Amino acid sequence: MDEQEKQDYLEAYTKKKEKGVPFFPDLVFKDTLIALLVFVFLVAMAFFLGAPLEERANPSDTSYTPRPEWYFLFLFQLLKYFPGQLEVIGVIVLPSLVIAALVALPFLDRSPKRNFRHRPWVIGLTASLVAAVIILTALSLLEAPPPSVAEAGDQTAALYAENCSGCHGSSIDVQPGTNLHEIIAQGRHEEGMPAWSADLPTDEIDALVGFILSKSGSNLFVENCSECHAAPELVAGNPLVLRDSLEQGPSFPAHSSLEIPQWVDILNDEERTDLLNFLAAPDGQRLFEINCASCHGQSVAFSGEESQLRTIISQGGLHLEMPPWREMLSSSELDTLATFVVNPSANPDGADLYNDLCSVCHGQFIPAAENIEQARETISSGGAHETMPVWGDVLTEEQLDALVTYTLAAASGTPLELGQERYAKNCAICHGEFGEGGPNPARQDDVIAPISSSEYLRTRDDDTLWAIISEGQPNFGMSPFGAAFGGPLEDDEIDAIVAYIRSWQQNPPVELPPEVAQAPSAASGAEIYANVCAQCHGPEGEGIIGPSLRERGFQSQNSDEDIFTTINLGHEATSMIAWGGILTSDQIQQLVTFIRSLGDDETDLPAGPVSFASDVLPIFDRACKACHGNLGGWDGTTYGAVMTSGNNAPVVIAGDPEGSLLIQKLLGTQTEGSLMPPSGALNERDIEIIIDWIRAGAPDH
Amino acid sequence: MTARLGAWLDERVGWRKIWEAIFLRKVPKVNWFYTLGSATLFVAINQAVTGILLTIYYVPTPDHAYDSVQFITTQVPAGWLIRGLHHYGASAMVILSVLHMLRVIFYGSYKYPREMTWFTGVGLLMLVLGFGFTGYLLPWDQKAFWATTVGTRIAEVVPVIGNWILRIMRGGEELSALTLSRFHGSHVWVLPALLVTLLGVHLYLVVRLGISSVPKSEE
Repeated sequence: MDEQEKQDYLEAYTKKKEKGVPFFPDLVFKDTLIALLVFVFLVAMAFFLGAPLEERANPSDTSYTPRPEWYFLFLFQLLKYFPGQLEVIGVIVLPSLVIAALVALPFLDRSPKRNFRHRPWVIGLTASLVAAVIILTALSLLEAPPPSVAEAGDQTAALYAENCSGCHGSSIDVQPGTNLHEIIAQGRHEEGMPAWSADLPTDEIDALVGFILSKSGSNLFVENCSECHAAPELVAGNPLVLRDSLEQGPSFPAHSSLEIPQWVDILNDEERTDLLNFLAAPDGQRLFEINCASCHGQSVAFSGEESQLRTIISQGGLHLEMPPWREMLSSSELDTLATFVVNPSANPDGADLYNDLCSVCHGQFIPAAENIEQARETISSGGAHETMPVWGDVLTEEQLDALVTYTLAAASGTPLELGQERYAKNCAICHGEFGEGGPNPARQDDVIAPISSSEYLRTRDDDTLWAIISEGQPNFGMSPFGAAFGGPLEDDEIDAIVAYIRSWQQNPPVELPPEVAQAPSAASGAEIYANVCAQCHGPEGEGIIGPSLRERGFQSQNSDEDIFTTINLGHEATSMIAWGGILTSDQIQQLVTFIRSLGDDETDLPAGPVSFASDVLPIFDRACKACHGNLGGWDGTTYGAVMTSGNNAPVVIAGDPEGSLLIQKLLGTQTEGSLMPPSGALNERDIEIIIDWIRAGAPDH
Repeated sequence: MTARLGAWLDERVGWRKIWEAIFLRKVPKVNWFYTLGSATLFVAINQAVTGILLTIYYVPTPDHAYDSVQFITTQVPAGWLIRGLHHYGASAMVILSVLHMLRVIFYGSYKYPREMTWFTGVGLLMLVLGFGFTGYLLPWDQKAFWATTVGTRIAEVVPVIGNWILRIMRGGEELSALTLSRFHGSHVWVLPALLVTLLGVHLYLVVRLGISSVPKSEE
């Protein structure tokens, strides 16, 4: 606009004003009328709809799908069209452009013309912008749950579609070495990803991990295995067994009676690897639990290089034979070495001996030994039959990577005493000395749940615990303890506390939380049982629709906590519902006690002769098979193998339990090697069953 | 009596001049769309009044925010009304200010001599959205928590300084008590101060320049 045009406008405006109306009362009346209408509308909304208020904010809730307020929905929808690297366009560039255009509007549109007929550009652009916002908002409101990527019968894909694809689309790129299981289980709050551990059982999380990491494996599973197997039932299985089933095809024992093709001919190496990666996903913590924990416990002490550890794991120890050192060392040297192995810092002389003699094979990895006697025994007797399997043959590259990474991380632990001391000082006030919980001092009428229960510990990994301690849980009244958040604890102290809490998983400080353990038992347990459980499990627990609860198999294979969990959470896809929603935990505990009492008459020993197939073999399956499969040495998988295999064969002498090496190893009375299983003796009842079986002539029935 | 009191006050305050300048000025004949601005102003006042009432009971800590909102809704006399007006007022604010802006665009009212009015108007619209975003977290319910988690994360997308902005908004890497107090502080102190300032300038300009007229077809 030049000066003349400005002048013209002002003159025209003055004329219009003169012909116009006074602001008061004419316009004020109109304004007031509209304001009143708006107010009435607002009151009506408040009265008929009310301001919504959802559940209290729960950072650990996973089922919540976040949505912004309606006037930001268009932006939210816009983001969906700019995934990944492009996000910055949808989030920053486009909105900034619109705002910049708005600010600059008087400079962009400089003509003196004001009527819309003369300004098609401005009006057109504005109209299309408004239309775009309206359409985006409508789409966001209408958009049905994300398109399912599930194919018929593919449960894992359905699981993925239901839980993940809403935010992640049809696939996710994962950096190698990522602990995906952990990310899914605990979520990533800073990125808005919820923790799934509360909603998905571990099996399903593993299935998802396998699906995400090895989609082709999932497809192969659907094509070849899903007719008989559900994915969550197989994933996180023992890789040894999984590999065997693939390599042996129809001769794999469990497949023998079925028409199973020779997988090796049908699937090439790559496909089998994909399938194994799907079924035992490359997830270090899980792999360690499945493969290593039975001998090594929760973690191994290892301070060497990653490549060393990799070699040790992949080569195993099967081909190595440790000499019986008692033939070469004096008794005092044996003592020195044994004390060093048990406590490396206590005995510097031992370090020299160790470096000279042991490190050639063991590297800096000092074998775990519980006490000096055991260490001395192992060193002096030597032997090769109880060394580590050749994991390199069993695990895929990806699985090996994950296992090495995890083992290294887990090995850099701190002494439990430090953790215990710090725990007592910082945590016990609220969580109790044994993590049993109690009333929440920060919130009235709130109870802190036990953190030492196996349920709690299984569903939270170390990183989650670490984050909780460090950052606190402000909305549950727990203040941050990490120095980074203004708390009293340094990082290594939190490490120690986490390690201490984790140690409860192996050695529960109390059998059950006190309030559960002290609950009155039996009497009312029987009543609840008669009312609720007897319909399916029979009045005496003999089993009708549901399985028998008095049978020894059930009683021995389930700990009290297992039974508690089953009652509490139910069994999917059966009529066993989650009773936790109906019964209190006290009542469930009473039920557990009652169900235990059902088994009492039978828990001693099986009536009649011990059967190999139903009594003895299950013990071998449970306790021995991980190592004593077909990896050489004694083989505990079939009757024939049990009776004939073994380095110093045979290990079973029918009719002579005391003379059988098997029993000696189980009781710890052997002269060669050490007690079996390496993680600690079997319970007495199991040993007694095996003794009885051998005494009866080790029959095969 | 009233006339004498008015005269007495006018001698000392000079209100008649102000009254004449604001209310008795002549304005061009306009249509109903020209009431959108004053309707927005009315809702803004509504937000201020109900907002102030809410702060009497509201406690901006994660432990008590939810309970205090619940208390307001269920226990405080007419609390449901105050909260309802504030809640739906927020939406009305967004709708009305956007409609008001569209009216201004449609009639070319941002042109000479009203450019400054337009600039302050754009600023006010941004402030309204800021109010909406910060106010959303305050009830500390599920929707508030998760929408803000996602909303603040968007800031992280900004190149180079994204994470810095995120941490300033959240007061750390995670949504926490600090986030709540920051959002609360912005919502009840920072943004209102900015709003009052900008709104003052905006209204002064409206009175000084007069409302624009409906442009005829040749204009």
